[in-house]
Amino acid sequence: MASSVRAKLLLAATTLALLLVPAAYGGNGGFVPVTPESPNAHDIRASYFFITFFTLGVFVLVETLLVVFIFRFRRRRRPRFQDGPTLHGATRLELLWTALPVAILFLIATFIFIELPGISHVPSAGATGRAYQIKVTGRQFYWQFEYPNGVISIDSMRAPAEVPVKLTVVSPDTDVIHSWWIPALGGKIDAIPGIVNTTWFEAKPGFYSGQCAELCGLEHARMLASVEVMPKSEFTAWLSQRRAQQSAGTSDLGDEEWGGVCAKCHGLAGEGGIAVRIAGSAILSDPRALAKIVRNGTSTPRGTMPAVGSGWTDDQVSALTTYLKEHPPSGS
Amino acid sequence: MAARAETPVPGWQRGRVASWFVTTDHKRIGILYVSTSLVFFALGGLMALAMRTQLAQANAGVLSPQHYNELVTIHGTTMIFLVLVPILAGFANFLVPLMIGARDVAFPRLNALSYWLYLLGGLVLMLSFFAKGGAAQAGWTSYPPLSEQTPGHGQDLWILSLHILTASSVAGAINFIVTIHNLRAPGMTWTRMPLFVWSIEVFAWMLLAVLPTLSAGLTLLLLDRGISIGGWHIQTHFFNAAKGGAPLLWQHAFWFFGHPEVYIMVLPAFGIISEVLPVFARKPIFGYKAVAFSTVGIGFISMLVWAHHMFTVGFPNALNSFFMITSMAVAVPTGVKVFNWLATLWRGNLHFDTPMLYALGFLSVFVVGGLTGIYLAAFPVDWQVHDSYFVVAHFHYTLFGGVVFAIFAGLFYWWPKMFGRLLDERLGKWQFWILFVSFNVTFFPQHLLGLEGMPRRVYTYSHESWEGYNMTSTIGSYVMGIALLLFLWNVVRTTRRGPRVGNDPWQADTLEWYTTSPPPPHNFDSVPYVTSARPLHDLRQRLREANGTRRIS
Repeated sequence: MASSVRAKLLLAATTLALLLVPAAYGGNGGFVPVTPESPNAHDIRASYFFITFFTLGVFVLVETLLVVFIFRFRRRRRPRFQDGPTLHGATRLELLWTALPVAILFLIATFIFIELPGISHVPSAGATGRAYQIKVTGRQFYWQFEYPNGVISIDSMRAPAEVPVKLTVVSPDTDVIHSWWIPALGGKIDAIPGIVNTTWFEAKPGFYSGQCAELCGLEHARMLASVEVMPKSEFTAWLSQRRAQQSAGTSDLGDEEWGGVCAKCHGLAGEGGIAVRIAGSAILSDPRALAKIVRNGTSTPRGTMPAVGSGWTDDQVSALTTYLKEHPPSGS
Repeated sequence: MAARAETPVPGWQRGRVASWFVTTDHKRIGILYVSTSLVFFALGGLMALAMRTQLAQANAGVLSPQHYNELVTIHGTTMIFLVLVPILAGFANFLVPLMIGARDVAFPRLNALSYWLYLLGGLVLMLSFFAKGGAAQAGWTSYPPLSEQTPGHGQDLWILSLHILTASSVAGAINFIVTIHNLRAPGMTWTRMPLFVWSIEVFAWMLLAVLPTLSAGLTLLLLDRGISIGGWHIQTHFFNAAKGGAPLLWQHAFWFFGHPEVYIMVLPAFGIISEVLPVFARKPIFGYKAVAFSTVGIGFISMLVWAHHMFTVGFPNALNSFFMITSMAVAVPTGVKVFNWLATLWRGNLHFDTPMLYALGFLSVFVVGGLTGIYLAAFPVDWQVHDSYFVVAHFHYTLFGGVVFAIFAGLFYWWPKMFGRLLDERLGKWQFWILFVSFNVTFFPQHLLGLEGMPRRVYTYSHESWEGYNMTSTIGSYVMGIALLLFLWNVVRTTRRGPRVGNDPWQADTLEWYTTSPPPPHNFDSVPYVTSARPLHDLRQRLREANGTRRIS
């Protein structure tokens, strides 16, 4: 009996070891949230550590008691149906293990309330007193970013470093719910039709990536987002250059629209994917027909195309038509 | 107890198959529930294996996005509505009348209606894969506007199926409540009632309290999708922001049902554990009243926590704080249960038959699922882990590691009462150890994936650093499949060859072991007067005293 119990304990220990091997294999191991690069993400991780201190304690306590009791009170040579002592309970113990969790949860809640302002309040920037604002629109299946001077980009955001950046997160009335999530830059916030939500980050220069976290349809898994944080001067230069290019029709916007809006369903070379093959289609080289289908969508026996570009400005539409004129998809 | 005159049964209803179609016997209906849900369990499991195959490697093309979304939706809906709730209702059907010493449930025909509605609802859901446009694709939570914009009829059939299942559950819940309130054996006061019956009492009240909200939400969703009856077209906009509706209204309606639903599944599982542990520890349950009242406490608090599923929708922090505190409060009665179970083991005479292994396995993994819940309740941390694989891991620890382990404890424990034969212990133990290990290998790495940023419900991913954990998880899931096949093999093998046992193979405490295995249609010829929560234990003691022997058993 004893040896079989030992064998089982060994098996349990082996399981634990097996679990840790892949954990060690994967970078930071995934035992904690990704390395925070923004104060709110940092405070969230601090809360995570605080909670883990208690949950690990309770885990070790319960599992130890369980294993010790299993080992200590196993039957051994006692008759199978011999009764143990008739213990019906103990009021003091009941009070103890009611009060202890209450105390732990009180501590955790208190810690959360202390950290909360640092997580959810946008700090005011020192000199200007205002955070830099970017509007984030979640749409099937791309992220559209609008900067204060009218510059638009798709899926890849650029932002100034060391300034609080306040994001207004929305979804058009005709779209579905998405969720904005760049793990290193803080928690997620949903983009919900009819609701205006906000979140913020403040980071050092770097490249941070994430993706939509609320099931939003067929290409939910491909709805990626990235944030490139640049030194402030570099960012300002990029923004004004992009403004000029956007007016002139020479910016990267058309490229981003093709890759972010069209290609997720039709393939990067227009070869077709979850949607039909469009390489060689006459519509691509006809700006007016293209504008119509992108703005209004279409419904044919071959399938339905949603109005992926409803509400697009003329700049946005012409960026796409110009891009496709210059780079007709090859189809393979 | 006066014998009731039996009306003669027509000949055509007495056949081996026909008798199951017309039965109103709670035991047979219980067995129908359990076996039907095991079939759905196999189907839901196959769907999970298909998804794990797709996710084993980055950028895999085993399943198309649409197929993946259909599977993710129907897997979740199946496991919750067609497996866990009905299998526990099946246990309740079989056990509650036996445990309280009754002849049947209060409304046997309503009980049969409940079962057949459940089967119908299940068939509608499964057959929806063949509908125009495929099955529903918006997840088991079916958030609008997505669920309103999906073309085809899969989503409509999903709504229909849930409407049918809701009707079935409400009928079942009323039946359980009336049965428990009115048909208890002489002497069985509320505090002498088996803890499993306590859990079913709370389970039934909770179903009655929250299912109407789901039904209302489903009806609004159906009307929003538009219905046509005889030339009349009805098209509402409850959840359509473009027409002034509010998508969040659905989330409130759904989660006001959806979170209590978690406890509707977990409480009867707790009830099973509270029955199994004392019998295999040879001790009374420690703190009977604390365990019973914590069941009521969990049931009540669970109706005040729903918006912790909505922490990322942009509520004011005051509202988030309220739901954080209520959600954390659930941990207190749950902790009371865990510590009382541990104390039940203390100084016991533990023997490790398969039911006990599953009960102990339940204790060891359910704790993990409970503790990860605290991260989700603390809303700023939830902003990070919400809708990620961390959540997937969390609820599989509670629903598989918790509820399914408890169900296996219950199946191995009550199998001899249901069929008169024991399941094979050796196969059962192999199954337990394989399942225990593979379950952890499958779901533990998913916590880590979530913390690294992998969202749930994605049909693929491109981060190669996520492949290690995903592959581990997939391998684990295949091994879980093998463990579940072992159970199937065990059932097939012991149906003919399993050892026959007497009334009370485990020397248990509750009334169902007083009658024969399997029990006769009328359950009991007579029921002893109940003087404590352990009537059979008392009976054995009285017999020993009467015989004047010190012989044990």
